[in-house]
Amino acid sequence: MEMSGAGRGKSARVRKLSFLHWPLESLKVIFQDTLGAIGLIFLVIFIVMAFLAPMVAPWGPFDVVFNPDKSVRRLLPPNPTNLLGTTNMGMDVFSQLLYGSRIALVVGFFSAIAGALLGTLVGLFSGYYGRWIDQVLMRITDIAFGIPILPFALIIISVTKPSLTIIILLIIFFLWRTTARVIRSQVLSLRERPFVWAAKAAGASDLKILFFHIGPNVLPFSFLYMAIGVSAGVMYEAALSFLGFGDPHVLSWGQMLNFAFNAGAMRNAWWWVLPPGLCLSLFVTSSFMITRAYEQMINPRLREI
Amino acid sequence: MTGLKKYILMRLISLVFVIFCILSIIFVLVKFLPGDPTAIFVDSRFSPEMIDMQKKLWGLTDPLWVQYLSYLKNMAIFDFGRSFFQIQPVREIVLEKLLNTCAMMVPSVILSVVLGTILGAVAGWKRGSKFETTMVTTSLFLRSAPSFFVGILVLMLFSYTLRWLPSGGMSPPGTAAGFWQTVFSVGFLKHLILPTIVLMSREITGPILLLRSSMLEVKGSDFLDILRAKGLSEAQIIKHATRNALLPLVTYVAVMTGLLFQGQVLLEIIFAWPGIGREIVTALKDLDYPVAQACFYLMALTILLMNFIADLLYGFIDPRITYN
Amino acid sequence: MAVLEVKDLRIYYRTLKGYAQAVDGVSFQIEEGEYLGLVGESGCGKSTIAKAILRILPPNGEIMGGAILFNGQDLVSMKSSDLKKIQWKEISMVPQSAMYSFDPVYRIEDQLLEAIETHEKTTREVALSKIRELFGLVGLNEKRLKDYPHQFSGGMRQRAMIAMALTLDPTLIIADEATTGLDVIVQDQILYRIKEIHEKMKKTMLLITHNMAVVAENCDKIGVMYAGKIMEYGGESVFLNPYHPYTLGLVNAFPSLTDTGRELISIPGYPPSLLNPPKGCRFHDRCPFTKEECVKEEPLLRLVAEKHFSACHYPDQVDRFRDLAQKPETWAKRE
Repeated sequence: MEMSGAGRGKSARVRKLSFLHWPLESLKVIFQDTLGAIGLIFLVIFIVMAFLAPMVAPWGPFDVVFNPDKSVRRLLPPNPTNLLGTTNMGMDVFSQLLYGSRIALVVGFFSAIAGALLGTLVGLFSGYYGRWIDQVLMRITDIAFGIPILPFALIIISVTKPSLTIIILLIIFFLWRTTARVIRSQVLSLRERPFVWAAKAAGASDLKILFFHIGPNVLPFSFLYMAIGVSAGVMYEAALSFLGFGDPHVLSWGQMLNFAFNAGAMRNAWWWVLPPGLCLSLFVTSSFMITRAYEQMINPRLREI
Repeated sequence: MTGLKKYILMRLISLVFVIFCILSIIFVLVKFLPGDPTAIFVDSRFSPEMIDMQKKLWGLTDPLWVQYLSYLKNMAIFDFGRSFFQIQPVREIVLEKLLNTCAMMVPSVILSVVLGTILGAVAGWKRGSKFETTMVTTSLFLRSAPSFFVGILVLMLFSYTLRWLPSGGMSPPGTAAGFWQTVFSVGFLKHLILPTIVLMSREITGPILLLRSSMLEVKGSDFLDILRAKGLSEAQIIKHATRNALLPLVTYVAVMTGLLFQGQVLLEIIFAWPGIGREIVTALKDLDYPVAQACFYLMALTILLMNFIADLLYGFIDPRITYN
Repeated sequence: MAVLEVKDLRIYYRTLKGYAQAVDGVSFQIEEGEYLGLVGESGCGKSTIAKAILRILPPNGEIMGGAILFNGQDLVSMKSSDLKKIQWKEISMVPQSAMYSFDPVYRIEDQLLEAIETHEKTTREVALSKIRELFGLVGLNEKRLKDYPHQFSGGMRQRAMIAMALTLDPTLIIADEATTGLDVIVQDQILYRIKEIHEKMKKTMLLITHNMAVVAENCDKIGVMYAGKIMEYGGESVFLNPYHPYTLGLVNAFPSLTDTGRELISIPGYPPSLLNPPKGCRFHDRCPFTKEECVKEEPLLRLVAEKHFSACHYPDQVDRFRDLAQKPETWAKRE
């Protein structure tokens, strides 16, 4: 790598990729893959749904719908007033569905970004500095790997009170372990590359190398695991809510299924069971397809020629 | 010490260390998190005198480090004490549930692996064919769909609407028999069908996708040319290729089985299957902490053991791996 | 009748950009007991011919025309079921060393047994004793039979490959870049063994290599290939008294042990694209002696000396060419 007179500044620019480079590239690639494109479209639909929820939803998620004669509209199949029918408590399924998308997005993206960020940091420091930092961080990751997610979450939630914050924290706790391992192995191979030596020779500090040289090169993997994290996060929140360990003040799709299941709605109220389940499946499947399209880009061996 | 033995020893030490840490974490959590720290040993609904007596019985009045050591000892010898609600000692309860979970899991895993391997190998071999594309797309969809929703759908369709199959439980109600008798009965099979379908629909995708990509890699190998030049038939060549493609599957199966144990929770709830997953949920809801703790421990242990086995197997199966 | 006769063989590879004319009208013959060496740069098509003989071309390789006659039978049009009887039993191959030619998850012994058992009905004991004998022939310890391929060094693997090629006592053995990728000492050992097999067991052999020195040292007959065509063809005289400018370039590119201090010559430029090969002589853009005719019309192989053919328009100028070819300035890059 050429060392032109100005030293650090100039050489740093030669290697450093713009942080915006990868997100834009990724979008392009994902769109080129059919399944990925479909996934992206659905994701956008969900995002729109989430934003428009307060405006479009006729009722709030926990509002009981009354008839003109003050009786409750319980367990009604889809009708003109309640597009997707009502629950056994008289709540509008359609509104619940719309509000549920907000939770999905919040949980999904929040935990995914935080989890991927944490995992990347751990991986970066662990892989780059090596020796005792690596040993310590990797032991912690090993332990995290050994803990079964769902049972652990169940126990923690039992001991504390069920809340969305706790759930998100738990999801983050589990997302970082996979990211950390992958990022670490990437860093291990990257740190021996010539451009790192060159940066060192130019006098760049360790932190600078880590964040400005190695960092951008592991970003694709961080994004990948972030994408995986979105679907995983939503799945786990749904699972926890379904089991009855979700935040009772929050109405997620999993929570809807929980109520439906406990009310025995599977036997007769398909309008209550299917919509949240389908939305959940679509959301998770879409993120999965996006993840896969993205994975094909960063790992050329997976590409379909 | 040979490379192999050293490798095994290192992995074993790592395993024990991790188990130790996890147990300690649980101990600490229970003691120091907000919420009643003694809840795991004492049911808060007891009267004050009973609580005191219980505390003494459970050794809660002992200094912390004594409690810690005896806790570790108990876990090591699988002595889980007594349940708050059920008559049997926790160990018996939990082991029974563990067997039940295995009863649901084992058939699915075996079928998924065998069928998935064949389908995946053929898909990989016939690259670019309709078969391959169908396999891949279907697998992707099945893999990403949340299994508990598939379970609900399947129940709704086959059990409630069509009334072909039972809606839950492990065996027809009213048949109280030992584990092995139940497993070999027809009623059990009927109850097994739906959960197996749901489990398989998801789990078969793993081997399919894995074998396919593995096979694609093998297809590019040079030794296949020589095999063809030797005049071997297509079937013989596929056999050679598959043997090479199988390597990653072994570790995958070990790891996957470990993970299934905890994913079972949802399916067991939906199908009301009396397995260890359902047990931990009901135990936590009933505040039966000794049972919950024991369930968790066994689940963690299983996952770690399967990962350990996966590590070992990987070393054994591939003749190219050396341990230096 | 020649053991192997290749007649006007044309093999093209289907690519996204069209057909790559890898082998474009190649003909040669190998009589019984002869040792033919096909030499040329990478990509000139020599390996393609070897693969075509045993029908192990990659899926995008198509034989567009011509014939490969083995003892009179055309291998190109033969049915698969008939060809299987010939594969390995009559014609076998020693492939390039860099390839992982053995299946990594099977033992060497099993792979050698497989070769025998596919074609002959014998007992395991008989087959095993034959294999042990072959191992001894190539200088390998029979105790190593139960090893896996990765436990052998490159040279040992090649020797095991030679043993495997001999298991069914074939008529013709093809050595396809059999020593490429090995260090020179091992290369020499392997070539020596191959030559021994040729002489002692009277096998007909086809050696494929990019190394002119190897061919010069070992082969009875030499074929020089370039860009899918044969440029020069004949016996030892191809090396001793080359006629074609390309051969002249190749011969002069190799260092001589005796003539130390001579400046090494290399032929500047690159072989032409096979997707759209040039009309006329394919070597014309790199040849220092190109004339107008060379660009317009393709020279055919013509007899230039006893049993010696060259595809050049100006064989009569050969003395002048030979003189000039020795001088580095002749080959200097022309702008």
